[in-house]
Amino acid sequence: MTTSPFDSTLERREAATLGMWAFLATEVLFFGPLFFGYVHGRLASPDAFVAGSHHMHIVLGTLNTAILMTSSLTMALGVRAARTGSGSLKTMLTLTALLGLTFLGVKGSEYWMEAKEVANASGAELQFYFLYFAMTGLHALHMTIGLGVIAWLWRHARGFGRHYHAPVEVSGLYWHFVDIVWVFLYPMFYLLERYSA
Amino acid sequence: MSYVLTWLGLMILLALTFASSYLPMGAWNTVANTGISCAKALLIALFFMHLRNAGALLRIVALAGLLWLTLLFGLSWTDFGTRTLSPAPWSSR
Repeated sequence: MTTSPFDSTLERREAATLGMWAFLATEVLFFGPLFFGYVHGRLASPDAFVAGSHHMHIVLGTLNTAILMTSSLTMALGVRAARTGSGSLKTMLTLTALLGLTFLGVKGSEYWMEAKEVANASGAELQFYFLYFAMTGLHALHMTIGLGVIAWLWRHARGFGRHYHAPVEVSGLYWHFVDIVWVFLYPMFYLLERYSA
Repeated sequence: MSYVLTWLGLMILLALTFASSYLPMGAWNTVANTGISCAKALLIALFFMHLRNAGALLRIVALAGLLWLTLLFGLSWTDFGTRTLSPAPWSSR
């Protein structure tokens, strides 16, 4: 007879989710200092941050936000597919990965364009760029890890169904968390005093 | 269906935050942007991340990160908010 630390399947399932939420709490604190640095920098030199923000590519940034939020939709649909065993898990994972890759591609092309602006920046505007590259870079790193996880799920997609889907579930939570981080980054860097641009 | 509605809500909020940044509202622009970001985060957490149907334990853990973030922001601010700035060499270039 095997013994389990859990009283029920439901409890075991919740343990996996709980572990991921605990990890996400540490992720909040991982990103936290950069957010604090941003608040401090912007309060200390608001004009420089506005000037830096006006160099951001607003159309690409907004498009990327829409792309990322759509990838969260496909991820949520993928998790549901795994839960119900409806078979569309692979399709949803593929769509999520494609949207994620598109996001990174757009972000990369933005970096390419902004690299020239940085060369002309100085003082507090340089601080804006530092925070921009550090925060969106850390976000992009999380996206890259997320894409790796999706690739792993895709390979093992046949093993998931109504009775076993915890890996899909917790990967979904991670993906949505990374989406939430971007939801805050977008107005912080792209939307400062757009009316005066 | 509720997932598609959540996505639609996110898109509407994105359009709102984008459009509002072209209205000169001064400090209220930041308030609007932050408020809309929080609404979007809440939509994602409640529906995509299933916190709506989660038990008390899960909700508490989900909020724990935010609680600590608030505490550390507060403690850091008592430091940074009460000192004179001495810019690093690279930031006063």
